[in-house]
Amino acid sequence: MKAGFSLLRRRDALRYFSLPVVSAVPGVGGLGATAARAQGQAPVRMPRIVSVSGATTEIVYALGAEKQLVGTDTTSLYPAAALQTPKVGYMRQLSAEGLLSLKPDAVIGTTEAGPLVVMDQVRSAGVKLELVEADHTWTEVQRKVAAVGRATARVAQAAALQAKLDAQWAEVLAAVARKGGRKPRAIFILSHSGSPQVAGEKTAAHAMLNYAGLDNALVSTGGSANFAGYRAMTPEAVVTAAPDVIVTTTQGVEAVGGLEKFWQRPGLELTPAYKRRALVALDALYLIGFGPRLPQAVAELHQAGLKAVA
Amino acid sequence: MNARNMHDFSLIAGLLEVVGVGVEVPGRALLRAASAQFAAGQVTAVLGPNGAGKSTLMSVLTGQRQPTGGDVFLAGKALAAYAPIDLARVRASVAQETQVAFEFTVREVVELGRYPHRSRPGKSGADIPLQAMQATAVEHLQHRALNTLSGGEKARVHLARALAQVWEPAVGPASAQATRWLLLDEPTAALDLQHQHRMLQLVRAWATAQGVGVVAVLHDLNLALRYSDRCVVLQGGEVVGSGATAEVLTPACIEKVWGVVAHPVAPQGGAAGPSQYLFEAPI
Amino acid sequence: MKALRHGDHRRLPASLVLAGGVLLLALSFVIGSARGAYAISPLQLWNVLLDMLGGSTQPTPEHLVFMNIRLPRLLLGVAAGAALGLSGALMQGLFRNPLADPGLIGVSSGAALAAGMTIVLGSLWFPEMPRTLGSWTLVAAAFTGSLLVTMLVYALSQQDGATRVGLMLLAGVAINALAGAGLGYLTFLATDEQLRNIQFWLLGSLGGARWSAVALVFAMVTAAAGSGIALARPLNAIALGEAQAALLGVPVERVKRLAVLLTALAVGAVTATTGIIGFIGLVAPHCVRLVAGPDHRIVLPGSALLGAALVLAADSVARTMVKPAELPLGVLTAFVGVPFFLLLLRHFKSRL
Repeated sequence: MKAGFSLLRRRDALRYFSLPVVSAVPGVGGLGATAARAQGQAPVRMPRIVSVSGATTEIVYALGAEKQLVGTDTTSLYPAAALQTPKVGYMRQLSAEGLLSLKPDAVIGTTEAGPLVVMDQVRSAGVKLELVEADHTWTEVQRKVAAVGRATARVAQAAALQAKLDAQWAEVLAAVARKGGRKPRAIFILSHSGSPQVAGEKTAAHAMLNYAGLDNALVSTGGSANFAGYRAMTPEAVVTAAPDVIVTTTQGVEAVGGLEKFWQRPGLELTPAYKRRALVALDALYLIGFGPRLPQAVAELHQAGLKAVA
Repeated sequence: MNARNMHDFSLIAGLLEVVGVGVEVPGRALLRAASAQFAAGQVTAVLGPNGAGKSTLMSVLTGQRQPTGGDVFLAGKALAAYAPIDLARVRASVAQETQVAFEFTVREVVELGRYPHRSRPGKSGADIPLQAMQATAVEHLQHRALNTLSGGEKARVHLARALAQVWEPAVGPASAQATRWLLLDEPTAALDLQHQHRMLQLVRAWATAQGVGVVAVLHDLNLALRYSDRCVVLQGGEVVGSGATAEVLTPACIEKVWGVVAHPVAPQGGAAGPSQYLFEAPI
Repeated sequence: MKALRHGDHRRLPASLVLAGGVLLLALSFVIGSARGAYAISPLQLWNVLLDMLGGSTQPTPEHLVFMNIRLPRLLLGVAAGAALGLSGALMQGLFRNPLADPGLIGVSSGAALAAGMTIVLGSLWFPEMPRTLGSWTLVAAAFTGSLLVTMLVYALSQQDGATRVGLMLLAGVAINALAGAGLGYLTFLATDEQLRNIQFWLLGSLGGARWSAVALVFAMVTAAAGSGIALARPLNAIALGEAQAALLGVPVERVKRLAVLLTALAVGAVTATTGIIGFIGLVAPHCVRLVAGPDHRIVLPGSALLGAALVLAADSVARTMVKPAELPLGVLTAFVGVPFFLLLLRHFKSRL
């Protein structure tokens, strides 16, 4: 029976070229790998991973585990090789059969992955779900690295990567703390679709501004006006905030048609930032994805802020 | 009502009566204290100029309109006291215009006339829709979509449907003696000359041979004289004359109500028959 | 089949049409069972079937995927298509207009507005709610929304103690516009992630079908279909006009109320679970009428069968065209439905 079963699977694998040919007999839920691990041996083969978050995908490549990556979501855009992996769709609208058809042992991502029912179906099929809560802190990145390490069965490499990243992080924070004086005022504008929005508290962007030694001008201007999440951008709010530098994403600038068009937004021309065209536009995943490049992103943002008020 | 109870029951059974009916809409009265009697076995024409209230009277008879005053009695009982299904088995009506949605065929429309009898099939079990279509000479159109026919053909189809509805005396308790009624609102309006006469001959035969009560709104006074026993003349929402048609439709009455001069024309060569009129506008 | 003459309509006999509908549905079901992102060969499918009948010792992965993911999804598709097709036919019969569809009385827009409110405002008012909704909250809210809006439209159409269909149409148009505006405002307030959630909900999907939800929807749709079939002959009579139908003894007011109620329940339950699936309610009755004529005794069951078949066909494509991702169902229903409709139009209409 077992031989016949493996024969079937091999035939299936050959028929659908997207699946690499496997010589052993895996179950859908990676039962083979976990069972083997439980016995204290090295797993029969490395676990197959689907990553439904841009940050965790980056970590998979950083660990050198890209051969285990059998599928990613549409937000996994870095590194370029990730674009060639099978795409399981948008992370909030996944398909149960689609995920299972890639025969993953684990799915890694954030708790935003969904719909919930699909995640339940995938979990009950025996697939391990490593979903990390996004709280916009350094520990979020640490948890992501640990989760990827567990899922790819590369715990040791993950620990090593974590140590390296921790060191980078400490260095960046120190550099930011060293710079005394007035903190530059900044606002973060998100304008990928529809009307532009600005970031308040409890957002990844807000956390980034704080880490980079910038003041979120929309939040510090008065306790009562503080808001959480994103809010529609109004000219009055922007002018009152009087930011020295505008932070946004490259995708946002492209969406509106270039830098000139971006500065034509009502209200921006009355800000201090406008006089020096102090704008920082970074890739969305790089800037607010809270992935392994977070230390570099903070450093870059910090430098740009200094330049704006220099 | 006691006086009525003393009368022959069959007389009442065959009576459709409108007593002091008024219909008012904001601004004006469509019907004012109208009273009229319609008898089984007779063709009663409802006549009058435009806007006199003929269609309003018909709508009260069919129960479509609730009168604001007065009442309608069928076989001595108020219309509102009947269950709709019981009424549907003994009373069929053809409106001036019926808009049929979708592409129903002639056959399907005529079959709809048998809807009230769907749970109690007729005793003969014969193809009543077919016979009804033959009666109004639309059998050859039975597979055509109704909406592709001419106005006159449509009118004949709807009459066939009404005939199918009251083709046989209703089966069931308390209705064995029930009179059947045909209420026709301008049935000849769209028909050509030949079919005008054929249709009225048909409904008259139903009245005399089967005891069906026929009430028909007619515009053509000559047709009324030829084919109706009695008539009710309306003007301005009021009944201004009712009785035997030949007696009511005098040139004086015609001039008063319709405002045209009527010249009687006697039947040719001493043949029996109602007189007809030639009309002309007054100078 | 009679020869075609001017004004003649080529029609297939009723038994043939209904048998064809059942066959089409069965075919769509079988094809849908065999196709999917997860590869299950016909042999494996056969084994799963045997397992179902005979009980098995150890369910294979294929068995699990089919029983827990694919089969409930297929059944939800059947229920959704049947509800939409039947309700479309009911609405077209009620409004005496072949351009009517279930959305006219506000079922879809009410559900959409409620869903939008839950997605955008829910996190504002109840921050503890899980961020990725797909749980019963959204379903319950959408169903409530569709019922409330339909009740409003129905209430607005009452005049002198009777339901005026003309008023219902206008009220439906107005309320739909209002709900649309409300939804527009919500999209303005929404963050990117909420916007995406709303958009996906509006495009409809059979994904995430779980047995509890499927069983509930299936039961409701079956009940609605059972009662709905009884409206066939009255709706035929209503085609002559409400006045004439009343003269034929049809309880017109009751028929109208029942048609609206069945549509609200069946389509409301389906929309709450799947989001908006468009086009089926409009096109399925049309196709049946083209082939079999307007007799509701054929159009009602025929529309249910054809609607189910179309939804299954569209979903099969949605599940496999971009695997391992998935297209939203609403995108596909028109792509699948329109060619089918045009094909029938060419074949069965002598002239337009």
